[in-house]
Amino acid sequence: MLAVNDLEVHYQELRALRGVSLEVTQADLVALIGSNGAGKTTLLNTISGLIPAVKGQVSWRGNSILGFSADAICQEGIIQVPEGRKLFSKMTVGENLEMGAYLPTARAYIAENLQMVFDIFPRLAERRKQLAGSLSGGEQQMVAVARAIMARPQLLMLDEPSLGLAPVMAADIFQVVEDLNQRGITILLISQEVLHTLTIATYAYVLENGKVTLDGTAQHLLDDPRIKESYLGL
Amino acid sequence: MVSSSNRLVFGVSILLFLCLAIFPWFGLPVYFVSLLFTVFMFVTLATSWNLIGGYAGYLSFGHVAFFGIGAYTTALMMKGLHLSPFWTILSSIPAGFVAMLIAMIVGYPCLRLRGPYFAVVTLCFAFVVDLGIKNLDILGGPEGLWLKSPDLPIETIRAILFEAMLVTMMLSIMLAYWTSRSKFGAGLRAIKEDEEVAQTMAINAPRLKIQAFALSAFFPGMAGGIYAYYLTYIHTDIVFDMMISILIVLMALFGGGGTVMGPVIGAVLLTLINEGLSTFVKAEFARIIYGCLFIGVIIFLPNGIMEFFKKEHRVESGISLAENGGNRSAA
Repeated sequence: MLAVNDLEVHYQELRALRGVSLEVTQADLVALIGSNGAGKTTLLNTISGLIPAVKGQVSWRGNSILGFSADAICQEGIIQVPEGRKLFSKMTVGENLEMGAYLPTARAYIAENLQMVFDIFPRLAERRKQLAGSLSGGEQQMVAVARAIMARPQLLMLDEPSLGLAPVMAADIFQVVEDLNQRGITILLISQEVLHTLTIATYAYVLENGKVTLDGTAQHLLDDPRIKESYLGL
Repeated sequence: MVSSSNRLVFGVSILLFLCLAIFPWFGLPVYFVSLLFTVFMFVTLATSWNLIGGYAGYLSFGHVAFFGIGAYTTALMMKGLHLSPFWTILSSIPAGFVAMLIAMIVGYPCLRLRGPYFAVVTLCFAFVVDLGIKNLDILGGPEGLWLKSPDLPIETIRAILFEAMLVTMMLSIMLAYWTSRSKFGAGLRAIKEDEEVAQTMAINAPRLKIQAFALSAFFPGMAGGIYAYYLTYIHTDIVFDMMISILIVLMALFGGGGTVMGPVIGAVLLTLINEGLSTFVKAEFARIIYGCLFIGVIIFLPNGIMEFFKKEHRVESGISLAENGGNRSAA
């Protein structure tokens, strides 16, 4: 469904991505793990069209989408949940969710999608009229994910959804991600919580210094001694 | 989704519009007609500015340029085409389009800048237009342009222009009202909050910004056209007066940026207060009182006077949350 091929991205002299290739197939939950500065967010932002690539290919359903503007990529059904949530903090939860359904295609299903979102996050239904900025961190993350779902994504890209959350909340978020995947949404998940991520993912890539150093089924990676040593501390 | 409160607002607006429309035909002193004309003009300017400044958060300090461009366009059309008084008023419509076109051209590069940079660049744009026209002899240059006044009693002329400005104002408010509840307005608000996130939400930020900027220039252009005819003498120092630019921003923010009624309230209050002060108080004190008023509003109601009403609204909607979960708050 999504194929990234030999992607290079530079920030001035710094080579943030040095020839990254990865693939996401329909209905997968693909994890992208790696330490700080490995290039995970850069990769996501490049796919989303927020950062230009120097070289390489990003294709979506067989067509190249590299060089498309961010809003055009959204229209293709690739929706990103940015790191650090980035809600419209002065809008209410309900308004944030409506903004998610900005696309005409999503707008037609707004009621149906709201129902689904409130089904997944019952707490957001209660908080609907509150300003998004007044919610707790975990609730804000829920709004961010919910807002993305409102856009009816075909591929949902989550950037560190558990960052800065209490362990209980983080576990909830992972539960939701798994749930969404079971509802048929293809997911590309970035996370530093390797153990948790690999338990729910189907396939995973390890990114180090802008390169994919390891990939395989999640189960396979969990058993890999290198992963155990560098990421799980076992 | 036409609720009863919507119908009420609509009804009251129509009534108010009619009351204002018959006002100049009662033989009141021309002074009052002129005062209201000025009020309408500033309501139009502040309401239009609000589209780009209030909703999208791009503070344009050069809106007087569109006003002046409208004034000059009308004056030139009148002179060049020898228009009758009736056609002159209608020629403010193409003047609006000229202002809009220039806004698109200027907006394309300028809207890539954000925050203070955008504010400064728009400010400079107004200076450039001002200086440019001052140095062009075909546009009257430093001497300005005299327009021929029609052979009608002054009361009638004032009354006609009054109606023209009133209609322009109503149209600009209608546009603002539509914006506040449309997808277009929602997109602009998202841009104000966070432009990057807005883009990942499939919002075409560059296009929306240009559209907002162009629309925000249209009615000022029209207002300028009507004003030109009202003055019958136009000069760059009058129609490109930087004070107008600043007043537009102050009025909109004083009332409340990003709301429909904010700029209206701000423009009405500030115009009337300014007028009242300069009539009844010595000029030196008038400035001081005016300034203190601003300081007071900024300290106690940083988001404008509308915030005062909104706070109450929030509490209300919080209580009624359970019953009407489906309605969005009228932000």
